[in-house]
Order: sequence, then structure tokens, then C-alpha cells
Amino acid sequence: MHEGKIHPITAATRDIADIFGRMGFSIEYGPELEDDWHNFTALNIPVDHPARDMQDTFWTKEDTPRVPRTHTTAVSIRCLEKMAKEGLTSYRAISPAKVFRNERTDLTHEAQFYQLDGFAVGPDVTLAHLKGTFETFFREFLGPEAKVRFRPSFFGFTEPSVEVDLWFQPEGKEGRWLEYCGAGMLHPNVIRNAGLDPEKVQGFAWGGGLERLIMIKSGVPDVRMFHNGDIRFVHGFSE
Amino acid sequence: MKVSRTWLQKYFDTELPSAEELAHALTFHAFEIEEIEGNMLDVKVLPDRACYALSHRGIAKEIAAILNIPMKADPLREAVPSVSTTENLVVTADPEYVRRHTGALVRGVKVGPSPEWLRSALEAVGQRSINNVVDISNYVMLDIGQPSGAFDLAKLKPENGVYKIDIRRAAQGEKFLALTGETYELSDTMFVFSDAVGGLVMDVAGVKGGKESGVTEATTDLFLSVGNYDGTLIRRTAQKLHLFTDASSRFQNRPSPELTAYGMRDILALLAEVTGGTVEGVVDFYPSPVSMPAVSSTPEFVNKKLGTSFNALDILGALTRLGLSHTKEGESVVVMPPFERGDVVIPEDLVEEVGRIIGYEEVTPVPLPGIPAPAQLKYRGIERVRDLLVARGFTEISTPSFAVNGDILLSNPLQEDKPYLRPNLRVNMEVALARAVNVAPRVLGPVSEVKLFEVGTIFTKEGEKMALAVGRKAISRKKSPVIVDNVDEFMGLFASNVAGTDEVQEVLFADADLESFGAGYEPKNPGLGKFEAFSVYPFALRDVAVWTPEGTTEDTVAGMIREASGSLLVRLDCFDSFAKEGRVSYAFRLVLEANDHTLTDTELTDVMGKVTKALQETSGYEVR
Repeated sequence: MHEGKIHPITAATRDIADIFGRMGFSIEYGPELEDDWHNFTALNIPVDHPARDMQDTFWTKEDTPRVPRTHTTAVSIRCLEKMAKEGLTSYRAISPAKVFRNERTDLTHEAQFYQLDGFAVGPDVTLAHLKGTFETFFREFLGPEAKVRFRPSFFGFTEPSVEVDLWFQPEGKEGRWLEYCGAGMLHPNVIRNAGLDPEKVQGFAWGGGLERLIMIKSGVPDVRMFHNGDIRFVHGFSE
Repeated sequence: MKVSRTWLQKYFDTELPSAEELAHALTFHAFEIEEIEGNMLDVKVLPDRACYALSHRGIAKEIAAILNIPMKADPLREAVPSVSTTENLVVTADPEYVRRHTGALVRGVKVGPSPEWLRSALEAVGQRSINNVVDISNYVMLDIGQPSGAFDLAKLKPENGVYKIDIRRAAQGEKFLALTGETYELSDTMFVFSDAVGGLVMDVAGVKGGKESGVTEATTDLFLSVGNYDGTLIRRTAQKLHLFTDASSRFQNRPSPELTAYGMRDILALLAEVTGGTVEGVVDFYPSPVSMPAVSSTPEFVNKKLGTSFNALDILGALTRLGLSHTKEGESVVVMPPFERGDVVIPEDLVEEVGRIIGYEEVTPVPLPGIPAPAQLKYRGIERVRDLLVARGFTEISTPSFAVNGDILLSNPLQEDKPYLRPNLRVNMEVALARAVNVAPRVLGPVSEVKLFEVGTIFTKEGEKMALAVGRKAISRKKSPVIVDNVDEFMGLFASNVAGTDEVQEVLFADADLESFGAGYEPKNPGLGKFEAFSVYPFALRDVAVWTPEGTTEDTVAGMIREASGSLLVRLDCFDSFAKEGRVSYAFRLVLEANDHTLTDTELTDVMGKVTKALQETSGYEVR
């Protein structure tokens, strides 16, 4: 019988789960419809932060409005809460899952897409570990030439915050630096909000688009192809 | 924030490197650069540093620190000369909104075109020159980050020679005629400057000036306003009025109220120089002066966060270059942030300052210490379900979460006709099946049905659930309806409620079941190869059947068809073959398509003619 095919998001996730699994990361899940606390407040995003604006975030029409999560960092904070509750001293996890942004769609922007979020927290997890983790991940996912570099940035939930660029060389083409994701050391307020003690644990977190990784690796020209239910897209990938 | 290299140069004796080199330095140590155009850099200042860096002085300070070149002079470190006050100006303000307000009366200005240096400075960063008074206000804002406003004193009414300005809450529905000529209706969450005697609304405080009190060529005397307002309230006002101005974007990022005095100093100096105006007096409203708490850290703390081994000299050097004065107390470094650096509050902020100035390229990658791989049970359970379906010929799809109908309504949907979060996967599955049937010959070849599945979240009154939808649809109408049969085994495993039709079934997952189902399962990892885009133009199907001599392979015939048909052939499937009386018959289906147009009948006939000819001319072949 004719074999079916998994969606490229699934295929990429399996690769990613493998690579991060070997580095000790579990895969965690959380609600797509989040409360204000896990999507914003616990992540040190103040009440009047632009990210809360109607143009960026969808809100439900309910007595207590909820938000289709704008990042899977919401899953990370839930894990940190679990960590506090269960008295764990270290925890590493990734969360590759759907997120929502209320923005105009084009070749590189979708209102719903997948994010690959992750974190590593422990007594001695540093920014150098973040670099090491990314180097391993990108080398294994994209190829041995892949490299990463950091640039300063700002996110409410991390301090220091960095933008991560990755060096990618498509077969037979010239290599170049591509912006990939935001990352940093978890802000002590976030660690405290989860019920942990920032004097005892620290760690890094990051969040970037999963489609973007696939677009880079496989040469997909338009992010809007991913979630329109078209089998031509799924079968357009060679294995 | 657009900055010009020429403007930045006034802060340095040594010649600055090129705009490109400045951009590179800023990119890796401070800010992303959105655009370089000649000598102009568009710097993306993020909210944390916007309190000091939405200014040429702020960017110059960064460049001084990054490139380690001294600034000639720093306007924020130079004393503010004291100016006498005046009894002819009274400013009252609501301290909920106004953190500080420095006002002044200036007499005898000559309004006119700006001198060349001022004009070109503004034009170099994309601003339009209006007149010398307005230009000075803009210049000082772009130079040190302090917005201000100038009003025509003749439009205000004094009481016994005293001008009374009240910065008060707007009345609900109060009208305001802006400089641009547009009228805005205000609400009582907003604040205005009003002439307490004459009643004129002069300004939506900190956001936009009014037309009626604006400076014109006839203006000779000014009320100058250099304020500092609550960032949150400013932001809400700008949002409500859809009026984001250079001033509001600065105030919403909470510059220090200390800055108003520096702004007033610079404006008064320029007014005297350029317009001949002289100050009558300055009136300062500053109910709670701010002070900057010290922040202390240790080299050990910095290295513990960054994973580096910077020595104390490196670390103190970075702080010194940034102008963050500090003292050493034992192992601790105690930093006294200058007033404009509202972003330096906790020890981690110092870690960032040190890390970025020394440079993140100095952070050497270190692998995390090894720990056993986690079980990832739920993940394995979900993937096992997927693999079972794929093995049975199902293709996985992903569809949007927004829906026409549902239980959970969005207050701001992307598309008005899809305001709900999907309550099921079935509806999207039906649409996808219909579409898949249309494209199946192109994608799957000559199959009798399409088989799809989706794993995704659905949203109902009872909460959100992970669901699986499985769909099958016959391609030929002659066939009897398809019954979902061979997926029963895991429908049984996971169903907590099953709904569906002959074509689509949908089940909900239970987490616990998934975890036990996933234990020990190793998901197949086919890898992710290159993506080949499909044409947006329709494909066409043509069949050809041919008798061939005994022993002829399918590949041989296929090769001949491929060669004859050329680049329009995008898929070739052999859908029938049988042997009879020493000959073998093959039937092929050709899928033809162009990337840039819909194929015409002529093109199709031409291709098929070539194929037929090639086969027919081969000895022992006979096209049927």
C-alpha cells in the first residue's frame, strides 16, 4: 500500500526532539489558550507593554479574557512553576507548538505559526551554555558549517537578552548570517514569579519560529503554505 | 531613531569611522540597525534603552563606549546654569500625570527660517524644517532626547500680567484642534495644557500641540514647556487618539525627569543665539525629585551569568567606558547610574552592560553537562499515532485554528468571517479532503481515494483538547462510499468521544493513554529534505497505453515517455500492465504542468504527439 507522509512540522520536530533529547531536554506541552499570568505577567511583561496591544495579541471575548498564546515561553514558565512545586533543582525542556500573533500575513509572517521555545535551568546554567547548546543544535539540524552569534537585544523575560543569528550555507550557495531567534538569561523576576529562588537557580531561555528553521533548511519560499491543509505542500518535501 | 554621522561627529574630536563601521559597532554591542542611507543610520532602539538612547547624545555615548573613544563633551554631565524665576508665569499640574514640568517665558523672538546648520541637521535625519523656534525644539529633542513645546504667548490671556497654565485632566468629549488642523475628541483619561484664564486648550500634554496657540511668523513672545509625563498614561492617550508622535514615543519610555532642566538650558541657549529671544524666567514644577539607587555586583556574579572568566579590570573598564561611575567595596562593584540610565536597576543589568560592551563574541560556547535523556513519553505517544496512520497511507495536514463557528469568540479576529477558535477538526478536514481529491493525481498519482489526518488542538466550552481527525474520500464517484475501517484499532485506544461521518472521524486524546502508548516507541525520522514548490497553474492529465515486446521493462517505457515529453512532464505513473500473447501492455498517466502558465490544448497535443511518435517508431511497440 501507498505510504502516507508526516507534515514537515512533525518531521522537523522529530529531528529537534532527537537532538535536544540527547542534550537532556524533555518535550513539554501546555494550553494554546493561555491566561494573562502565563503569557505575560509572570514573564515580566508589564501591564502597558506594547506586546499586549490589540494589534499584536488576540484576546477572547470572555468575562476574563484569555489570550491564544503569543509564545510557547508560556509553557516554559509553567514548567518552572512545576519545578518549584516539585522541588527540582534543574530542568531542561523544549516546547515546539502553535502560537498566535495578530499581525498582517505575508511571505514571512503568519498569524498562527509554530514556535520552538526552550529553557535550561539549574544552579550553574550560563549564557555560554546557551551558545554551546545552540551550536550543537544547529550543527546537527542544519549541517556542520552552522555557527551562531549573539547580538544584544531586549525581552522582558530575560536579562541579559540576545538576538541569535545563525550562519547557514545552503548547498552550492554562499553562506550568510540569518536572524533566528530571541534568547537570554531568564530574568530574576521570572524565576521568582515561578516560585523559584534566583539566588539558587539560573538559566537560559529562547524562542524562535519553527517554520523559519524549515524554510531555511528546505528552501520553502512562503510561510503561509504550512497550515492551509494542502497536501501538495506536505508532499513537496523530499526525504 | 534616525541619526546622522555628521551630527554624532559634533560629540567627538577624532573623526568617526564610516556609517557602515558605526553600524557594525552598534549592531554587535548595542542596537540593531534597520537601514543605512549615506551618512544616516536608522537605529532600532528597544524599550529598555529608549529612556536614554532616542537621542544623538545617547547614541554618541554608546559609540564612545564601544569604540573606546572619548566624547569631547557630554551635555548631560555639564552643569545647568541657574535661571531666575518669574512671577508672571504660574503652572499648576496634576502630579498623577506630570512628573516634572519646567516652563519659561521668553520675550522678543524673531520667528523666521532656520539658519543653514539647523536646517541641514534636521533634514539629514528626515525631518522637515518649519521655522527657527519649532526647529530648535525638534533639534534639542533629537539631540538629547527631551521633547518640548513652544506656544505663542499672545494667544494666551494673562490675569494682571500673570499667565496661568493648568495641566489638567481633559473633560470627557472636550474638543482639541491640533497643529495639523485635525480635531480630536478627548476623554477624561487624557491630560491637556489649558490656559487657566482664557480657557484655551493648548496641547494634549506630551503628545501634540494645538493650532490655536501655535507659533507663527507674528509670534514674538513664547511660553516654553519642557515636561515629563507618566509613560503609561501617555501611551494610552496616544493609542486612543492614534496619535503617535516623536514626543509621545519618548515619554512613554520614561526618560528621567531630571532631563527637563537640560532640555530647557539648551533650548534657551539656542533661542538666544538663533532668534534673539531672551528669557524672562523659568518656573519648575517637580513634586518628587527622583534619585537613582546604586546597583552592586561582583566580577564573580558577572562571570557566573555569562559563563566567562573576565577579570575585574575588563569588567570595570566596560563600566567606565559606559560612564557608569562606580566604587569598589571589597569584592563588590557599586555602580551609581547616571540619571538618564533608568534601565540600570538590578545586578543582571550590569551583567548585560559588561557582556555587550566586551562583546558576546567573547562568550565561548560550552556544552551543558550531560544528563540522561528524558523519557518524552507524551511526545512518543503522539508520534506513534502519526506513524501508524502514515503506515496506512494517510498524509498529515495542518490547518488554521480560526473558524466560522465555535464556542470561543475572539474580540479582535484576524478575519471577521472567522471569529472563533475551532471547536473541532472535522470542518477543516472536509475542506482539505475536497481539495486533496482535486490535486491527488498530481501529488499521489492514480489512487482511488485520498487519506488525510490532522492532530491539533480544539477549543470548546469544556476547555481545550487535543484531537485527531482522520478523513478518507473516494476520488471516483463511481465507487461506493468509503468506510473508515483500518484505523479502528487506535480509534479504540484513544476515543473518549467519537463523532464523524463516513468520510471523517474525530477523536479526543487522553494524556495518560498517550504516555503509556508512547513508552519505548522510537518515532521514525525520515529527515527533512529539499522542498520543491508546486505550480500555481492547473495541471493536465493524459493517458497513453502501449504494447511492447515481451521482456520490456516499465522503466524502459517510462524513460522513453520522459525523454519525449520534455520539461512539462511533472509526474508519470504506470497504472496498468499485463502480458498477453508474447507482448506486454503498459498504461501510463502523464501529469503535465507549467510553472508560469496554464497549458493550452496545442501544447498538450504537441507533447502527446511526440510521445506517441517516439513509442510508435520503436520496433515492436504499438500504441493502443
